[in-house]
Amino acid sequence: MEKGTMQNLSSANSCSGYELAPMSRRRLLAQFGMGLGGMALADLLPRAAAGATDDAIAAREPPLLPRAKRVIFLFQSGGPSQMDMLDYKPELNRRHGQQLPEEVRKGQRLTAMSGNQASLPLVGSPFRFAQHGESGSWVSELLPYTAQITDQLCLIKSVYTDAINHGPAITFMQTGSQFPGRPSMGAWLSYGLGTENQDLPAFVILVTKNKGGQPLVARLWGSGFLPAEHQGVRFRSGKDPILYLGNPSGIGRQTRGRMLSALRELHEIQRETNPDAVIDSKIAQYEMAFRMQASVPDVVDFSDEPEHVLRMYGEDVHTPGSYAANCLLARRLAEKDVRFIQLYHQGWDQHGNLVKSITRQCKETDQPTAALVTDLARRGLLEDTLVVWGGEFGRTNYCQGKLAGKQFGRDHHPRCFSMWMAGGGVRPGITFGATDPLGYNVAEGGVHIHDLQATMLHLLGIDHKKLTFKYQGRHFRLTDVHGNLVAPILA
Amino acid sequence: MCLKYPGWNVLFFLSLCAVPLSAETNPPEVRVDFEREIRPLLADRCFHCHGPDAQQRQGDLRLDEEQAALADRGGYQAIVPGDVEASHLIERITSGDPDQRMPPPDSARKLSEDEINKLKRWIAEGATWETHWAFRPIERASLPRVQKKSWPRNPIDTFVLAGLERVGVQPAGPVERSRLIRRVSLDLTGLPPTTQEVDRFVTDSRPGAYQRVVDRLLDSVRFGERVTSMWLDAARYSDTYGYQVDRDRYVWPWRDWVIEALNANMPYDEFIKNQLAGDLRPDASGAQILATTFNRLHPQKTEGGSVPEEFRTQYVADRIETVSTALMGLTLECCRCHDHKYDPISQREYYQLFAFFNNIDEAGLYSYSTQSVPTPTLLLPTETQREALTVAKERVRDAKRKLAATAHSAERALVQWLAEVEPSEVESSEQSSSVDAAEKSGPPHRLAHLDFEGDPPRGTIHIPGISGQGVQLSGDDAVGTEVGDFRRYDPFTIALALRTEKHPKRAVVFHRSLGWTDAGSRGYELLLEDGRLSMGLVHFWPGNAIRIRTREKIPLSKWLHVTVVYDGSSRAEGLTLYLDGKRCEVEVVRDKLTKEIVGKDGDTLALGARGRDSGFRGGQIDEVAVFDRQLSSLEVDALFGGKRLAELRDRGLESLSLSDRHAMREHFLLSSSEAYAEALSELRDARAEAASAAESVTEIMVMHDSPGVRETRLLARGAYDQPGERVTPETPSVFPPFPTDTPRNRLGLARWLTDSKHPLTARVAANRFWQLVFGEGLVRTPEDFGTQGQSPTHPELLDYLAATFIESGWDIKRLIREMVTSATYRQSAMTSPDLVAMDPENRLLGRAQRRQLPAEMLRDAALQVSGLLVERRGGPPVKPYEVAVSFKPVKRDTGEGLYRRSVYTYWKRTGPAPAMMALDASKRDVCRVRRPRTQSPLQALVLLNDPQFVEAGRRLSERLLAAYGPQQLVTTMFRTVIGREPTDAEQLVVKRLYETQKKYFALHPEEAALALHTGDAPLDPDLPVAEVAAGGVLASLLMNFEGFTRYP
Repeated sequence: MEKGTMQNLSSANSCSGYELAPMSRRRLLAQFGMGLGGMALADLLPRAAAGATDDAIAAREPPLLPRAKRVIFLFQSGGPSQMDMLDYKPELNRRHGQQLPEEVRKGQRLTAMSGNQASLPLVGSPFRFAQHGESGSWVSELLPYTAQITDQLCLIKSVYTDAINHGPAITFMQTGSQFPGRPSMGAWLSYGLGTENQDLPAFVILVTKNKGGQPLVARLWGSGFLPAEHQGVRFRSGKDPILYLGNPSGIGRQTRGRMLSALRELHEIQRETNPDAVIDSKIAQYEMAFRMQASVPDVVDFSDEPEHVLRMYGEDVHTPGSYAANCLLARRLAEKDVRFIQLYHQGWDQHGNLVKSITRQCKETDQPTAALVTDLARRGLLEDTLVVWGGEFGRTNYCQGKLAGKQFGRDHHPRCFSMWMAGGGVRPGITFGATDPLGYNVAEGGVHIHDLQATMLHLLGIDHKKLTFKYQGRHFRLTDVHGNLVAPILA
Repeated sequence: MCLKYPGWNVLFFLSLCAVPLSAETNPPEVRVDFEREIRPLLADRCFHCHGPDAQQRQGDLRLDEEQAALADRGGYQAIVPGDVEASHLIERITSGDPDQRMPPPDSARKLSEDEINKLKRWIAEGATWETHWAFRPIERASLPRVQKKSWPRNPIDTFVLAGLERVGVQPAGPVERSRLIRRVSLDLTGLPPTTQEVDRFVTDSRPGAYQRVVDRLLDSVRFGERVTSMWLDAARYSDTYGYQVDRDRYVWPWRDWVIEALNANMPYDEFIKNQLAGDLRPDASGAQILATTFNRLHPQKTEGGSVPEEFRTQYVADRIETVSTALMGLTLECCRCHDHKYDPISQREYYQLFAFFNNIDEAGLYSYSTQSVPTPTLLLPTETQREALTVAKERVRDAKRKLAATAHSAERALVQWLAEVEPSEVESSEQSSSVDAAEKSGPPHRLAHLDFEGDPPRGTIHIPGISGQGVQLSGDDAVGTEVGDFRRYDPFTIALALRTEKHPKRAVVFHRSLGWTDAGSRGYELLLEDGRLSMGLVHFWPGNAIRIRTREKIPLSKWLHVTVVYDGSSRAEGLTLYLDGKRCEVEVVRDKLTKEIVGKDGDTLALGARGRDSGFRGGQIDEVAVFDRQLSSLEVDALFGGKRLAELRDRGLESLSLSDRHAMREHFLLSSSEAYAEALSELRDARAEAASAAESVTEIMVMHDSPGVRETRLLARGAYDQPGERVTPETPSVFPPFPTDTPRNRLGLARWLTDSKHPLTARVAANRFWQLVFGEGLVRTPEDFGTQGQSPTHPELLDYLAATFIESGWDIKRLIREMVTSATYRQSAMTSPDLVAMDPENRLLGRAQRRQLPAEMLRDAALQVSGLLVERRGGPPVKPYEVAVSFKPVKRDTGEGLYRRSVYTYWKRTGPAPAMMALDASKRDVCRVRRPRTQSPLQALVLLNDPQFVEAGRRLSERLLAAYGPQQLVTTMFRTVIGREPTDAEQLVVKRLYETQKKYFALHPEEAALALHTGDAPLDPDLPVAEVAAGGVLASLLMNFEGFTRYP
């Protein structure tokens, strides 16, 4: 990729005289918070050490030994139904139609959607489960491709959250707080670790196009009180993957290059009369933008992908903005060391007509998801890439509304749900945690969202208690004042 | 981020030096400053476990209060003033034993050698303790002595100069006039000066030239728009509700109120009082009530299945956060869950403040299925609407008079009617069962009757009824009907028999509505609430509804006959509940219904269940009857099976008691008087007209106290469902007491805040206005004046500004005028590199800071220089190009909506204007009083490629070519965009680009033509294409040049 970018630039150079700044890569990285974040590390490290290494910005390692360098979070928005996909519950199937026993529910709060239902009939999964791989993990027939990679996965069946509705629950997963205003996980990582890439943002968001369902909001990849450059940059599936990336009509790369060359001259004149550090970063800012104009279209252009790779991701990969295309794009971004790649796929909120809807969802996501893990593994990228799959909560083991044949639905369920991780220092081929026989409560090894976040940070080499930002007099962190490392899942 | 490292270093550097820089030159003689050096240290490293938070406190040791820190702890003291050896604190922080060492080695907190030494020195010097600077009374210090007496133009400069002279630094020279007028025009109006304005000022040799410029700018209506854009961040203003669904809401009249208030130079204390408590001011005007929308601008929720109380609690918490951050510079939200760890404010005090904002009749969720405005609201009628409302109200009054007159004159008709009644009619009803009577001769206008004798409706089962069969309800399946679509002006009666074995906490007996919280309960409904019958007509629950509830619980395990009668008056007194034919004792729960009770759906009566609500599970019902008129009490009695009607008739009019006679007359009027029926019909029509007039009037969310709607309780860990002890409104004890002569409500709170003795309000305000014109506050953490915030760079200056601000009657324009006319403000940014190296953050204020223009200014300036800016003031938000490419794209405007000032740009919380966001605008999710300043490539892309800027460049090119011709283009454009003459070197660069580009476009006419395509603004057909296109490229160059994007 470096090569391609340089070629693009030099062709522009020859026409316009617009040249790369005589600036070291390290300096450039530092300029945009795109190096390893100085302030964050100053907080992470003892002061003296921070002072001593101030110059070694790009080379600095995080304080703990990192197992992963980057994250791909495949966020399944809406709350996928764990007992229809990954959490096999034969006892639930046997007791299909019976009332949810009070000794299981224990008076816990339900959502205001089914909470007032007079009847709460249990509903078993209509999907067949089988064991797969050496790990013998149970996976339902909805996920034939995921079933083939179970030996790569660390399946966690005992995740639980505090929130019971979508908005708060997604916000909680991404920011550690149910209410708006905190930085998202990707922003924390951008702030804490910076990026090793000079042409792309540290934190990229890919949202599956044309999906309905629970709305997503820009806050989910916001930087909260962290400096704004750490917020996620959403790649669009249209002409401009990044807002205003393309030149306006009639402005070719030559014209643009000439103009930027003149701009640089003006800035240099300015620097001579009044030396000022901001001018240097202005110059670098425009150079970076110019390079991004070339590198971003490059990374989103799949024409250099071999046919067998495209085939692996499935037919949808040819449709820009599809989940399959985003999975492949995620791999390409991972190759370029983008720090945090966040996918969103909406449509898992199956309050009614679950069977039909979940079948469609799985068809859209199963193959590309498995392809991504396989593709990363084949390229040796899985070792230092942490892939995370899951939604904001699970679904109830009882029926929302009337149980009538296959026309059932499931409500939100925060008390237990399944997620998986792969690569980046997690133990492959294991299942961690368990739910009770009816799949209502965690039976062992509960993993709270803050635990999950703490573990993810740990894998990236960060002690979640030490990555802090002082705002309004308080040292804030992703895990608030909570979070325990889930040590058994570490490789 | 290049700012990161200097920022860190300076903080570090200054925190090490006692008084900036002087400590270095003369360390031994300067005493350790408790305020600057010791308190921040204790606060950061020790207060977490030894601070104000009683829950977290370890070893019962408190280090945030002098008394506690010096207390005798049974033979030893943590701190012994003057005696380092005896001070236990020193022993612990220097201990080699990890179990003894403080802060604990496994915590993230550590003390460096320097810090330990400083603590030792402080104790050795007597451990003098002071109240935290921001909590001390504002004191107006005398002006310091300075050497360079010619420099200061006003007291601000004397304070600043004293600081500079203390470290032997000269202030920068004055900035040249062309730059000064650009700076001050941007600061006071948000727009750059025109070239004419620059020329006029540069050539104005009369004395007072600058004063005149400042006066002109302060008098400009643009001033209000400029300052408002700052206030919108603090007020978390947005044109949508936020959270997930994020529907549009109507709040912009409040934004216009702010602009007008600032332009009218409303005193700051009034500005605050109106926004916090305008509704409570004596004889509150509409504008004062409108100002309180400020408190309702937090995000609001409508997601299905959410718990309303959870979000309502969050709204109140958001109000506290906004008031504390924006007005007091305090981080009170810490105390939502526990006592503040660093500042002396307890969790209990937090909820005492909470109590001030907790009394409005609001819902936790806004309505998903309807467009109801969340209550409480203020109606904002237009003049025409106001007139229509008056006319309609008069018509209702007339119709009521006529009805009363008809009733009054009905005596003779009543006698006549009684004489005409056939005895057999009464006979027959006496002989048969009540049901049969109702069937055969029951009251007319019955729309429906359910006796459940046929197949039971879906989900119900047959049981023995009050007569024949009845049904038992599942609680999940509603029994539907095809009737019941009543408006709030329609009289109606609904009767049924019911039976229950228990008193459910909440159960829907019947309803006609779109839904429960999803629709703000719009419609009407009969509920069982803790065993009491509760009947309501609702536009938006709870603030716009009428509801009555029986005082007694209904008897269990027997059939009861329940009737609801409504007279169409939209008043609670127009509702009557009968149990077994007798009128129930009721309490009025709500009595304010001003808008419709119907939506587009859910328009028929249903019994026993409602989606997501608690159904009447296990309840039994029978004999449901619906009438589209008001039944008389005697008819209700007869419906139940009572005999009073027959008895009274038999007895004859003369022998009746007064009340019986009254009942008989009511019965006659409602059932049999044609004249009365006609008058009733007229009244209904008049009410319908009044309702329709009210319907069209827009509403806006405001504050309106409803004492008694709820009590405030301390919430354990801040959780809405864990109420603890009850609290009443009170202000934190660290501040001056709540005034005795003022009510304990928001108005009292606003008076307390703006009392001249309050240590924070004036300081925080002066600091923010300083930040507005200088870029950074004197306190660089404007959101935190507590012990964890930064101390002011110039404490005496801050107090001087705060004190004179109060003395001047909180005169905002006077304060800003003093700032911008100071020599400090008029300094050049040019200074010696040594000074920059020594003071990179400009904490000494020895020069001007060339910061980037805020997002609004960048866009507005581009529109201004191009001539595209449309300066219409106020009104609904507008949708420029960028909203069409936001995360939640919205259809953009065409025409002038594209070219209005950015303060009017439509703000959608879940997908804010993307170019504004890239340029560091606040997201406006929560209160923010400071914006980050970043430089990212994404910003460059906005300025280079956003059609707003591209079009502005093209228009600028056209405008100047048309006015000055191609010869003058390069120079005039430089002057227009940058506001000064180009230097020779600059001239060379811009001219060369223009000439090269012109040639290029001449050779590539197709590219030139395309280059003119961006934007809706029409092309000038008379101008040469290549020149215009080349001029557009030149404009783009200049608009990306730091001479345009930064303050001069």
